[in-house]
Amino acid sequence: MPIKILSVDDSRTIRLIVGRSLRPYDCVLWEAANGEEGLAVAVREKPDLILLDVTMPVMDGVTMLARLKEDPALKAIPVVMLTAESGRDNVITIARLGVCDYLIKPFKEEQLIDKVGRAVQLQKKEAAAPVAAPAPVVCF
Amino acid sequence: MNAQTCSLDIRHYLGAHLVDVFQTMLSINVTAVTDGRPPTFAERVSGSVGFGGDQVTGAVYLNLSAMLASQIAAAMLRLPPDETIGETEVNDVIGECTNMLAGGLKSALCDKGCDCAVSTPAIIRGTSFVIESLPDVQRELLVFDYNGVRFTVEVHIKFNQTN
Repeated sequence: MPIKILSVDDSRTIRLIVGRSLRPYDCVLWEAANGEEGLAVAVREKPDLILLDVTMPVMDGVTMLARLKEDPALKAIPVVMLTAESGRDNVITIARLGVCDYLIKPFKEEQLIDKVGRAVQLQKKEAAAPVAAPAPVVCF
Repeated sequence: MNAQTCSLDIRHYLGAHLVDVFQTMLSINVTAVTDGRPPTFAERVSGSVGFGGDQVTGAVYLNLSAMLASQIAAAMLRLPPDETIGETEVNDVIGECTNMLAGGLKSALCDKGCDCAVSTPAIIRGTSFVIESLPDVQRELLVFDYNGVRFTVEVHIKFNQTN
């Protein structure tokens, strides 16, 4: 059963890097460009993990996280925050909101995989599977 | 809080942070140019991210030639350097790089007691424009080199005197 991961970031570049990093692993990736879209996908797909940017238009990551935690059906989904802001207060604020972990931008792809692997059981695709086949990406 | 208590060596911090962003996300090495001679751009791409709070307001600009911006986008997206990349992709990459620069600066300012928030990135493109600072705004210009091509990071920052 592939792991279901939702990447919420207004930067297509970051979503692309997330998809590229996860390509060798047995997972299905959904994408959303802001918190509002991300919440809709989360409700619909019940992902196993959410990778969530902080600063986004329409609805930021902190607001989306708060909404997730208010919803009994979604509050247990582990969330890893991706943020360009590494300040002490920001990290403390994020931690208090109940995230599973956080990753400071800039990051290396192996750091992302390490964080994801701590939150969910990532498994490499079987050797027999075509290596070039990308993980399915479903854009909201 | 005032400029004295919110002391941060912006040039030193951003110089090191930009090298880190480019090395980590793009796997490319850039160097700070000590003679400081800023480049001129025939066609220019500027990423900008604003920041603001009670004690400090400002913006970070990443200024590059359109060609270098495309090369950086190719590096970030891992495309061949000669592959044509659309403006949308270039804008997104440059916007994200600027966001990381501004996010780092914001964090450093917050750690010094100057709480502020950052905006989402914006891109300015053109062949002939200058970004001017207003009176009482501190302007820092840092020049970098990548493979013989120069680009700049510019910070406009104003510390508000509060009692």
